[in-house]
Amino acid sequence: MKLFWFETYKTFSRWRTYISFSVIALIIILTEVVMKLSASEIVYRMMRSFQKGFFITGNILNAWFVTAFIMNSLHIHIPFLITLVAGDIVSSEATSGTVRFLLIRPPSRSKIITAKYLTALFYTAGLVIFFALVCVSLGLPLFGSGDLIIHHYGKFDIVFIPESEIPLRIFLAFIGAIWSMTVVASIAFLFSTLAENSIGPIIGTMAVVVVFLVLGNLPLDFFRSLKPYLFTTYMNLWQQFLNIPIPWQEIVRSALILGLHNAGLFLISFFVYKRKDIKS
Amino acid sequence: MKKILLFLVLFLLSPQWIQAQEDVSLYLDSVEKKYAGLRDYTADVNVHFDIETFKAPDMQAKLYYKAPDKMKVESKRVFFFPREGGYFNPSLFKKEDFEIKFLERSNFDGRKAVKLKLTPKKVKRNIQDFVLTIDTDRHLIREMDVTQFDGRKIKAVIEYGKFDSFELPAHTQLKLDIPSFESEGVKEFDQLIQKPKRVTGTIEITYSNYKVNSGLSDEVFKGKESDK
Repeated sequence: MKLFWFETYKTFSRWRTYISFSVIALIIILTEVVMKLSASEIVYRMMRSFQKGFFITGNILNAWFVTAFIMNSLHIHIPFLITLVAGDIVSSEATSGTVRFLLIRPPSRSKIITAKYLTALFYTAGLVIFFALVCVSLGLPLFGSGDLIIHHYGKFDIVFIPESEIPLRIFLAFIGAIWSMTVVASIAFLFSTLAENSIGPIIGTMAVVVVFLVLGNLPLDFFRSLKPYLFTTYMNLWQQFLNIPIPWQEIVRSALILGLHNAGLFLISFFVYKRKDIKS
Repeated sequence: MKKILLFLVLFLLSPQWIQAQEDVSLYLDSVEKKYAGLRDYTADVNVHFDIETFKAPDMQAKLYYKAPDKMKVESKRVFFFPREGGYFNPSLFKKEDFEIKFLERSNFDGRKAVKLKLTPKKVKRNIQDFVLTIDTDRHLIREMDVTQFDGRKIKAVIEYGKFDSFELPAHTQLKLDIPSFESEGVKEFDQLIQKPKRVTGTIEITYSNYKVNSGLSDEVFKGKESDK
């Protein structure tokens, strides 16, 4: 536990760690201000297919909608920001030449790698929680509250979540988002144990995420058959909490698959680190 | 010669021939006249959706109507209210606005009825045509089939109740058959390669607490939720 706090202190002592938080704050503030300024255009584009058939009243563009809208960007920019720290957490010791000093001290390699992994997960959770807090705390005064309308652009497809259910669902959605993002952290962490510098793990992780996302979304039968084997398929776990009814079976399945990925990736990192040659 | 005369007599006495001579717009007139005294109404509406791709709980709102064509829905929450068939407007079908074609005589709920096809002379609200089933005994529109240019089809079945001496809708069932994708705008790749799908389902609207001819002012209809 002490090691974990040391690692956490080390991580949060670096200015690089705060790049991610600053970038997230900047993205959310910019997005929400622009959405506020172009509210009518957004509502028109969003509801165009429904406005032909329905009179629509009420506050559709509310804080919950904006939060869900921005959360959709989790796929790309949050993974990148996670890799900045998780991809650096082990390899930076090699880059800065501190790995030997670290490993000749009393704590075992197992404890050190576990502490580093837990720190990477802690950072990931912290980043997503920060994302949630900024989204909601800025969104509520700007857009107000209301029922949440989840709409698939261009399709006659809508999910309507009553306002009273939203806080719990959004909370669960963010828990799901944290769980999804831990897989990205685990991949970056594994690459970090394999590399001697930080650039490789960051680029490598992003390459994996982007390639898997692209393969999983190509609407061709061959790629559709690959989809169940790509972890990115299960990363939209959080979206399931904003569905009616909540598909608990699917959520549990996705969470288990992502959890197995985490366990597998950590175990590989663990053994790689245990056998790491620091003499040459 | 006798056969030809017999054929002519039968032909001239056939219902279609008789109907063609009739002024079919009288059926629309009779509906309009029946509601000539209806100046305005308010009602509470409950909308129930039974559409696979429209997952929403029942929604409630207050509906305001003022003759000839002002309407407004008011709700504290997000509310979706069907444009076609959602609210009752007796002035909607003015004979001068449509090409009217008689389709057939029929029965509706054991009463005499006629079916008319109305094609708007000026295209409004994307509507291609209406097919109305009018109860000729009670002068009520009981069914309305709406076909729109973008392929949407809506069928409304209306049940009436007596409110302050007017027969007004107590329940409307809307059957929807609409394209699942928008026909215009940029499409995603999977929308281009997939066969066009359609969404079907029903919307049930229940009306209650009617207040008729309460003297609604025009101010009520100012605001973005109103339709004129």
